[in-house]
Amino acid sequence: MCGIVGYFDKTGTENQPVGRILLGMLNSLACRGPDSAGVALFGIPRSNQLVARVKIGNNGVSAQRTLELKTAAQQFGAQEFAQNGAYLRFNFRETSDLTPFISTLESVAPDVEVVSVGRRLEIVKQVGSPSRLEQTFAISGFQGGHGIGHTRLSTESVVDLSHSQPFWGHGYSDLAIVHNGHITNYHQLRRRYHEHGVRFYTENDSEVVAIFLADKLRKGASLRAGLESMITELDGSFSCLVATESSLGFVKDPFSFKPLLYTETASFAAVATEEIAIRSAIPGDYSVREAQAKEVQIWQR
Amino acid sequence: MAAIDAAGRSTREINAAIRGLLAEASTDITVLNPGARHNLAVAILEPVHIRIAGSAGYYCGGLGDGASIEIEGSAGWGVAESMLSGTVRVHGSAGSGAGAALRSGTVIVHGDAAARLGVSMKGGEVIVAGNCGYMAGFMAQKGTLIVCGNTGEAFADSMYATVCYVGGTIGSLGTDAVISPMDSTDVERLEATLNAHLPAALRRTKPAASDFKKVVAGRKLWNFDKREWRTWQEAL
Repeated sequence: MCGIVGYFDKTGTENQPVGRILLGMLNSLACRGPDSAGVALFGIPRSNQLVARVKIGNNGVSAQRTLELKTAAQQFGAQEFAQNGAYLRFNFRETSDLTPFISTLESVAPDVEVVSVGRRLEIVKQVGSPSRLEQTFAISGFQGGHGIGHTRLSTESVVDLSHSQPFWGHGYSDLAIVHNGHITNYHQLRRRYHEHGVRFYTENDSEVVAIFLADKLRKGASLRAGLESMITELDGSFSCLVATESSLGFVKDPFSFKPLLYTETASFAAVATEEIAIRSAIPGDYSVREAQAKEVQIWQR
Repeated sequence: MAAIDAAGRSTREINAAIRGLLAEASTDITVLNPGARHNLAVAILEPVHIRIAGSAGYYCGGLGDGASIEIEGSAGWGVAESMLSGTVRVHGSAGSGAGAALRSGTVIVHGDAAARLGVSMKGGEVIVAGNCGYMAGFMAQKGTLIVCGNTGEAFADSMYATVCYVGGTIGSLGTDAVISPMDSTDVERLEATLNAHLPAALRRTKPAASDFKKVVAGRKLWNFDKREWRTWQEAL
């Protein structure tokens, strides 16, 4: 099962109630998977600053660990630290190569994970249903331009924060994915990336989708080309939503195993596993249709 | 006409309200604010007209026997699945598996249909004004499948005796699907069916009945023949 949702504002304003809309959509899909829930929100872009969300780890005993992480982050100009749930959030100096930042932070302890980095992107996810996500992070107050969300029914790997979705395209700023389905050749793909030194944080097959797309985009592929290459290079079932700093896109596998419906009006585009999610979160007169096998759609600002 | 406001009510409450009205011998029921809820108006066995004033979720009108159901928005997966008789009309688009395992009656989609349209249908008519997706008509056994627009890939794969008519282009033919010439009986039958259920004003594309392509089973998969091993390998 699993439920995925996405919302994209087309009017160009950056202060849409994206958090409230995604939460409304996720709440109506909670019955498709209550194991964990998460959102990737794209807020107001910062100039010369990136925002990071880091999993503190250490089984929630965070005081000493947080101090160590802050010290490590300060060499990258980190400021405005805030601790929220299992995360440390802060801003730091914009850089094109995130590798030194990630390796410095993650060398603090093996269970530290940089969950997201971007000019706009913030990923929050945790174990439990979407309503718990609101209790911990109050995401309904979040404003921005677009975002994606996920509610998970675990089928092939454990239930914890790291295995939750959305997944960040690790090391590639402002790239996030949510996936409903099973990638059956993910072992081969993992092995291939592993040989190139990519670190995997989970046993979740969806993680490889994020790594796959980050790899394609890093090599210069357009988002459309990246999504289209999933159709030929990934095996299994996937309805997949992808968000970058300025766009939202989806791709559906050749057999159309998993549902994915979308609507587009002059002012917004919305995508969800079931139409009920869109209808319950967004009032108004619009028509919704199911995506076809191999269909790729991209909305760009 | 009786109306049920679905706002704030669960699927079970809405369906119970429909049954309550049927017990009072209502023949015309409107469900307002359906909000794309699943399983609306399932297994209705009375000759009633039910209007869903918006979109329906999964399995709307499934297992019905004799009702006429009109969905003014879109329908989710499995609309009219396993219907025994009656009519389901979708004004918007239909999700995957529309009319799957249909026994009899008529399913009409004014928009497009997603994957697996009319799979394993055992009778009746499935009519789509627009396009249909991947693997429509897979293993269909009897009845008629009409697509006025284009089809997706693997159309009419591994079929038995269902007859398909396609007004647009065929994405690709499935295993053992063959194009058969349209004769005058086909043209008359197609014209009569379209005129009865899909007046010209509702058709987005309007190919003449004689310009439709007829697709039937090549019957190679009906009996096992080891000399045709290649076809079997592809089919399985």
